[in-house]
Amino acid sequence: MAAQQSQGIQTLLEAEKEAAKVVQQARQYRVQRLKDARTEAAREIEAYRKVKEQEFSAFQSSHAGSTQDAQSIIDKETEDKLDQITAAYKAHQDDVLGKLLDRVVLVEPELHRNLRKQQ
Amino acid sequence: MASRPLNDEEVLSEMNKMVAFIKQEALEKAREVKVKADEEFAIDKAKLVKQEQQAIDAQFEKKRKGAETAQKIHQSTLTNKSRLRLLHRREEHLQSLFASARAQISRLANDEARYVEFLERVIVQGLLYILEPSATVCVRAKDKTIVARTLDAAVKTYNDISGRQVALELDASLSDELAGGVKLVSGSRRITLNNTLDERLRLLEDRMLPEIRYDLFGPNGNRKFYT
Repeated sequence: MAAQQSQGIQTLLEAEKEAAKVVQQARQYRVQRLKDARTEAAREIEAYRKVKEQEFSAFQSSHAGSTQDAQSIIDKETEDKLDQITAAYKAHQDDVLGKLLDRVVLVEPELHRNLRKQQ
Repeated sequence: MASRPLNDEEVLSEMNKMVAFIKQEALEKAREVKVKADEEFAIDKAKLVKQEQQAIDAQFEKKRKGAETAQKIHQSTLTNKSRLRLLHRREEHLQSLFASARAQISRLANDEARYVEFLERVIVQGLLYILEPSATVCVRAKDKTIVARTLDAAVKTYNDISGRQVALELDASLSDELAGGVKLVSGSRRITLNNTLDERLRLLEDRMLPEIRYDLFGPNGNRKFYT
């Protein structure tokens, strides 16, 4: 009878040990999962960052192109306006010169408006 | 519960039941742990990813704004430079106009009749400004004789306009390099009035600028109010 009892207890103890092992494995799985969370998150983040970098460099290269255009557009406009200015000057310079010289010799002597002619 | 002791079969079956029970409990517990682990995995990962994504977004947003600002600054600098070039060109033209005017005023003294009239008027104008009882008329050496003849007429015109008398003296002290005109000196040499052609031109260059600019370059596109 004692032998049977101890056999029974032995079986139970072994079953208990197995059970503990199973639970232990589950716990290890949990620990592993937590580590995996970190590494996988890092991977996804890296992928996201690469995508954003690409977007940004595309944006940058497109905008660098537009800078060049802006420069040349403005330069051309400026050249046109400069030519306009010179043309306008050439067209009118004689008239204005004449007006200026006429005014130099234009003299209208008058008494100051606050004064009266003395008698 | 059995009221009599169990026989061997019953013992065995009870044993198996207990073993199975233990196993079942273990499996269930293990499953619970695994499910919770997966949940936590998902939550943690999502949190980390979201955090970093926000940080990355903020970073790139800042970079982009910086680039846009730099571009705007660049554009504004270009526009400014362009405007300065235009203004510079206008100024160059004005200066060349004035230079040719200065070169040409010397010829105004050549038309004798008009020059004499001009001299008389200019003397009277000066006298009407200083309103003194006596004055010295300074002229160029080559104008001395012409001016001497106009002095009396000038005194008379001055009297007609202002009712005042004046005593004039002639002085041929002006440099011949000037273009013409007179300088009046009065009040024990403390009052001078420069009414030479050069000085008149200089004053006109300054005072006539709005009109000159309008005539040369047309109306100003940016101006909104004309009183």
